Amino acid sequence: MKKALLPLLIVALFYSDSVFMIFFSEQAFNGAYVPVPHFFFIGLLFMSVFFDRNTAIKYGFFFGFLFDMFYTGLLGAYFFFFPLIVYITSKLTKWLHSTMPVFFVIVLFDIALLEMLIYGLNVLVQRTTVSLEQFAYVRLLASLVLNGLFYIVFAVPLRNAFLRLKKVFD
Amino acid sequence: MPQFFTNKRLIILLGSIILLVAMIGFSIRDRGNITWPEKFVKDVTGFGQNIVSKPAGVVESFWDDVSRLRHTYEENEKLRAHLEELAQLESDVARLEKDNAELRKVLEKEKSLADYEPVQATVIARNPDRWYELITIDQGESNGIEPDMAVMTASGLVGKVKSTSKFTSTVQLLSAHDTNNRVSAIIQGGTPIYGLIEGYNEEKKMLQMTKIPSDSKVKKGQTVTTSGLGGVFPKGLVIGTVTELVPDEFGLTQTALVEPSASFYDLEHVMVSKREMTGVLPEEEDRQQVLIEEEGL
Repeated sequence: MKKALLPLLIVALFYSDSVFMIFFSEQAFNGAYVPVPHFFFIGLLFMSVFFDRNTAIKYGFFFGFLFDMFYTGLLGAYFFFFPLIVYITSKLTKWLHSTMPVFFVIVLFDIALLEMLIYGLNVLVQRTTVSLEQFAYVRLLASLVLNGLFYIVFAVPLRNAFLRLKKVFD
Repeated sequence: MPQFFTNKRLIILLGSIILLVAMIGFSIRDRGNITWPEKFVKDVTGFGQNIVSKPAGVVESFWDDVSRLRHTYEENEKLRAHLEELAQLESDVARLEKDNAELRKVLEKEKSLADYEPVQATVIARNPDRWYELITIDQGESNGIEPDMAVMTASGLVGKVKSTSKFTSTVQLLSAHDTNNRVSAIIQGGTPIYGLIEGYNEEKKMLQMTKIPSDSKVKKGQTVTTSGLGGVFPKGLVIGTVTELVPDEFGLTQTALVEPSASFYDLEHVMVSKREMTGVLPEEEDRQQVLIEEEGL
């Protein structure tokens, strides 16, 4: 019965991004910054490190697919990039000891990587005309700050949740 | 150092890249509506989204109300001033509407491009990825919503329906960067001036109205509305006001910057307009085939 908590936690994280967008006023800072919530993605990274990598990749595929269909309509983007970055992260954490501060840097790196991959893809399919400079100042920095704050607040609860779930599954 | 890519992993990676390219290619095609598996996924995800975002929306609007409470007095004064004008306006509108209906009856032309039936909808999600200016609303095909219908708020046009599923639809806002996003519009004045709303100026937060004839005199502050000529949007929906006029790159036409009257941010409730008259052509079955005989051309 407790095993059902894992999908529930992931689903809650999945919707948390859009719920954040409901509360967050888009005109904050006069629209000068566009912070993008990647809370689900952070949860996925925690899952890959503190729970199980392969399960995280599977969830990444599935929910990335949902994300593409429901929110963006550009099929394949998150579907592909979520598992890819989870895989890269699992390799990185093997080389670097995953203490919480080190993992913080890795998570920020991953978010920057994800944003840049998505930006590159959007430029490629001509869905945007934003210049690289604009993208870096308006979106990337703001996103890193927002998700960094999320990490600072939720890192310990998320880690504990996944460690406890791991015990349930073992 | 362990080998980064074994054979199996390389195959998986290459396979997914091919899949990625194929799926992106499939989804950026100019297509009428999404396929049924997508519709199914959207309905299921939308159901969950509804459960999550409705309470969140209630909490959010409660905080809005609280913060609005501080300005109640000033607002009340303003509204009272408006109210006096409103009574006069209302009686005028009623009279004109009656006139209009009677005259239409005389002309035997009862449908007009301006008629529409609004469907109320609540915004349940805004694309958290924030690239394409898409919002999801809680009304879909079961309420008669179809792709390309106009979406507006009380203050003006905000976008059009991009795709629909049974119980949700995705709306693309006018501020989105999409070359297919064009709206036929009129600048209202003595003689109506036609143009196209095409593109959004990100820095100035203004819509661009292009293809305005170069000899037309447009003044600052004139109202821009939909023309109803595009085939999908009803006539007369307010888009915004002209703020600036610049000649285009070849000097043949002019481009006006239009300040949108509706805010594209923090949308909560929108209306989808079901247009009653979709085209000037008669219904399919009423059309008669015209045969042209070739006479020894």
